[in-house]
Amino acid sequence: MGAYRSIRGRKRRDKVNKLFELQLTSMIDVLVIILVFLLKSYQTSTNNLTTVPGLQMPISSSIEDARDSLQVIVTPEGITFENVRIVDFVQTEATAGASQGAEYKFAAQDLDEEGRRIVALYDALVKAKEKSEFLKAQSTVRDDKGQPMPFDGVIAITADKRIQYETIRKIMYTSGAAGYKIFRFIAQRKET
Amino acid sequence: MFRRPSSRRKSGSHAIELNLVPMMDAFVTLIAFLLYTMAFVAFISVETPLPTSSPLEVAEALKEKPLQLTVSIREDDVQIWSAFDKVPSKVIKNMEPGIPDFKLIHEHLISIKQQFPSENKVVIAPAGLINYEAIIGAMDSIRLLEPTDPAIFAKNAAGVDEQIKQLFPEVIFGNILGRD
Repeated sequence: MGAYRSIRGRKRRDKVNKLFELQLTSMIDVLVIILVFLLKSYQTSTNNLTTVPGLQMPISSSIEDARDSLQVIVTPEGITFENVRIVDFVQTEATAGASQGAEYKFAAQDLDEEGRRIVALYDALVKAKEKSEFLKAQSTVRDDKGQPMPFDGVIAITADKRIQYETIRKIMYTSGAAGYKIFRFIAQRKET
Repeated sequence: MFRRPSSRRKSGSHAIELNLVPMMDAFVTLIAFLLYTMAFVAFISVETPLPTSSPLEVAEALKEKPLQLTVSIREDDVQIWSAFDKVPSKVIKNMEPGIPDFKLIHEHLISIKQQFPSENKVVIAPAGLINYEAIIGAMDSIRLLEPTDPAIFAKNAAGVDEQIKQLFPEVIFGNILGRD
């Protein structure tokens, strides 16, 4: 404050204020480059499919975009249906807490039909199917015959790449038994 | 209409300064929006139907003796065979235990497709211990055609030869009900 009391001080302050102009041009250049890069690599997600931390998805060269549907996620720890954990795998001492070498073993009470059907998953799938059919019945959208739109019966399976087919087979069998006729295996797109 | 010479001289000396601040605001907003809505992991899907058939359909299908190409994926090898011996059975050794030789499978399937260009179905039967990554890899080598693959033509509905874009797009799991 005291420094600007004199006339010389005021002049110096005015000089500093006039000289200090933020150079926005270079900043604009940077922003334009970032914007072009983002627009080039921009891809929106047209689905609500989720993944979980630590899940290693397989990579596929397929070009079909994953569309929205009911989703089962299989991690080394358990099975999640529509973001609700419904089955916990039995963890051995060696594999507990470790994603490497997990065994994906079911508890005996989690299975029926000679170990082919996952009881909790079947119940959840049937409930989801009934809910979907109820919503379709309430909807004003009808087919050519005036009937409610049929249940699409699509289930998306997102699984860790290390999971064995034995577990996938149980999930497919259970889904088939619950009335789901199309399996949509979710993978990560291969970078070209 | 005409300016005085004195004012004409002065008019050119004023430099126009572009106000970049609102433009920067717009850019920052756009970048924030793009970053927020961007999908960093692109998901793709591989669809396969649940095998269903009625006894009547099976009986009808068996009259023609279809190709019914089957790919059995085992721990040590992959067998490509036809249920009605339409093509000779071929066993391809895995590169490592549980990891099939996708390139050789793909090449063999191309040679079969050249013989049966209108066939689209393949039954896949992995063993219980095969991991999910190997199954997805095998499905890719069964379903997709690479740009470097030889061109294969099939007659379309109008009877005109048309280049096919996928190898065997319909992959069905044949052992969902079974066990190892």
